[in-house]
Amino acid sequence: MKRNTIVIGITLFILATFAWAGWANWMYRKQSAERALASASHADLIPAAGDVPQQGSPLMGKPAPEFTLPDLSGKNVSLSSFKGKPLLINFWATWCGPCKLETPWLIELQNEYGPKGLQIVGISTEGDDLKADDKEGWAHDKAAIAKFVKDEHMQYPVLIDGDSLASEYGGLDAMPTSVYVNAEGKVVAVQLGITSKDDMAANIEKALGAGQ
Amino acid sequence: MMARTSRRMLLMVLTIAWGMALCQEPLSTQRRQSLLKTESVEYLYPEQVTVHAGKASPVALHFRIRQNLHINSHKPRADYLIPTVFSIPESSGVRLAEATYPEGTDFMLPAAPDEKLSVYTGEFAIEAKIVAPQGNHLVEAKLRYQACDENECLPPKTITVPIDVIGK
Repeated sequence: MKRNTIVIGITLFILATFAWAGWANWMYRKQSAERALASASHADLIPAAGDVPQQGSPLMGKPAPEFTLPDLSGKNVSLSSFKGKPLLINFWATWCGPCKLETPWLIELQNEYGPKGLQIVGISTEGDDLKADDKEGWAHDKAAIAKFVKDEHMQYPVLIDGDSLASEYGGLDAMPTSVYVNAEGKVVAVQLGITSKDDMAANIEKALGAGQ
Repeated sequence: MMARTSRRMLLMVLTIAWGMALCQEPLSTQRRQSLLKTESVEYLYPEQVTVHAGKASPVALHFRIRQNLHINSHKPRADYLIPTVFSIPESSGVRLAEATYPEGTDFMLPAAPDEKLSVYTGEFAIEAKIVAPQGNHLVEAKLRYQACDENECLPPKTITVPIDVIGK
């Protein structure tokens, strides 16, 4: 009888312990979920370049990933064709307001720094991941890109299908994204989002300065 | 006899406790994964509507945009911007007769304080008029939008808006 009382006592103690542990665990998970939900509903796309050390980009200090992309006439253009030139590779999209805003700055910067060797290359990155055989989709994209290029008087080279470079160039999840490359072909700055023309000029100076 | 019952009870309690411990971690992981998949725009309600069969019936569809983001309104002020558009696929059996969108609010990017954009932020509702035949219809409507924050933009996106439409 005494032994049974002990076993029942232990059982009740274990039950009480698990009840308490279960409640504590439920409370902890509830609070964690609320914190995670609050964090998820607070959208921070990617901090602007001025807010974050640029060393944060995995591209920094590495050779710019090689690419070959078509321009609007269908001619393939490779990164290697700009070998020895400081570059500003600007990923943009036709639907992107900040991209449209910074385009006049890019034109001015090309005019200002072109004589010093800078070459700006625009790469349209529409984010629609078109398949190669989607003729209608490509025709629609090309028409929109051509209209944008004409309306904005973009005189620097513009390539299409930046989506195909997403994995090599750090995801390209949001537009605009600018990658600054020095004459040795190494990435010296990465700018995520629009900041100011002065910020872009400062990054261009870095690209021009290295290797001299 | 009593001792054997007590031992069985103890064994049962321990088995249940072990089972509970195994169940807890997967639940937590599932919740986290669903949070990571959060879209820029979330459909709130209604999940189910009952309408008069064959007649255009009004339904208010409520959405929420993630904090710090905005999406273009249905009538953005520039051609190149992608408008927010609600649609119902023809194959669903339910027809969208009309959709009335809210007015956009003015929004200025810090880089262009003089240029007003027409956007939605926070929560908004689209007043849809739908025509459904008699019966139950699980409609996978679509909302196409393009979201930005103050400095950069995400690619255009189309989300599914699941509504259980009952025509009576």
